[in-house]
Amino acid sequence: MYEKFAHQTWWKIATIILVLYTCLYGFLVNIPELAILEESIRNLFFHVPMWFAMMLLMFINLVYGIKYLSNGNARNDVIASRSAAIGLIMGILGILTGSVWAKVTWGAWWVFAEVKLNASAAAILVYSAYFILRGSFTDDEMKAKFSAVYSVFAFVMFMVLINVIPRIAESSLHPGNGGNPGFNAYDLDSNLRSVFYPAVLAWMGIGLWLSTQLVRLTHIQRKLDDIA
Amino acid sequence: MNVGRILWLVKKEAALEWRNRSALTSMLVYVIGASFIVYYAFEGHITFQVWSAIFWIIALFSAINTIGKTFDKEVTQRFYYLRTVIPPVELILSKLIYNAFLVFIFELVIFAEMSLFFGIQVENTPIFLLTLLLGGVGISNLFTLFATITARTGNVVLLSVLGFPIILPLLLLILRLTGLSDVEVLADDRWSNVGAVAALDAITLVLSVVLFPYLWSE
Repeated sequence: MYEKFAHQTWWKIATIILVLYTCLYGFLVNIPELAILEESIRNLFFHVPMWFAMMLLMFINLVYGIKYLSNGNARNDVIASRSAAIGLIMGILGILTGSVWAKVTWGAWWVFAEVKLNASAAAILVYSAYFILRGSFTDDEMKAKFSAVYSVFAFVMFMVLINVIPRIAESSLHPGNGGNPGFNAYDLDSNLRSVFYPAVLAWMGIGLWLSTQLVRLTHIQRKLDDIA
Repeated sequence: MNVGRILWLVKKEAALEWRNRSALTSMLVYVIGASFIVYYAFEGHITFQVWSAIFWIIALFSAINTIGKTFDKEVTQRFYYLRTVIPPVELILSKLIYNAFLVFIFELVIFAEMSLFFGIQVENTPIFLLTLLLGGVGISNLFTLFATITARTGNVVLLSVLGFPIILPLLLLILRLTGLSDVEVLADDRWSNVGAVAALDAITLVLSVVLFPYLWSE
């Protein structure tokens, strides 16, 4: 399904349009006037969608890891590992955009009281270990099999880190957590929403597109290696 | 699946451990030595938060050292023999039961040791013992499966590199639960935490049993 999807053009055109829309209209749209947050609220269109993109790519990593385990097709392993690579980049971008936002609104680059910050840093560690694991094998088949098993655990822990732990922790500075109002409370005329939802699709599309390019690159590289 | 054979494997594991007690005694000395260092470093006084952090760090390292060696013997000489006589599901279940038991024993030893040095810090002992049990099961589930990976690669450092990030969510939940065993809190808040740890234990158990056969094939 991934490979069929990768060859289609319509969603790539849609992604370009949505990214342009996000980057242009995201800076033009009328925003609610809030103290402290002020113009930094526009980061909502960049910071939050990064996590959605990461979740999508890590989900692909999980699904294609399981597919590899069930049929042993090396192409599935390529899809799984390249998705995780882009997913990790998306996660790092999410941390960076979040850190910039934290500096503006909370006054520090890194805040301990913020459970989501620490949990997402841990999630990035989990997926860094995935690549360390892959790097420690010379045999391709073992590498694919062991990293597929690891990615199942990694996804479970990723979900616990970003969905369960922030919910049960009582201290959080994020909107919508720890008794703070969510953004819906401010977004009375749905202006934010009109950019936010397209932005989520846009960055998910970019992540997916990048991963398909990386998959293609890997296949070309392997063909070249076979010739040489 | 043959329950009798699983129990027999657990017994075999314990008998092997007991026959060569060097691993057990070295772990015991490590645990006592580590808590003794902490006792000296803090000059005998410690807050509950520090106590629980140190408790779980010592427990984690003793677990990773013991469980890391789980498959050492199997991978070298007996790998092919075991593969022909025992279904992988029974093998992993016996390892999980044995390792959970071992980790729980170590936790109890550390608890006794730290209570001797710092006095009993835990207000609600039954809840703390439950935390120890659930934590031990979770730690053993995760580390046992990853010990297979490190045994097959022969890379010992890999277990801590893979194990520590992946155990973090579980450890955060356990630390929270340990914190709740100190103060009087709302009972349902505590039980939702117990539930979260128990659910994670169940998930990791199922995943270990389902995924182990893939690691155990050639």
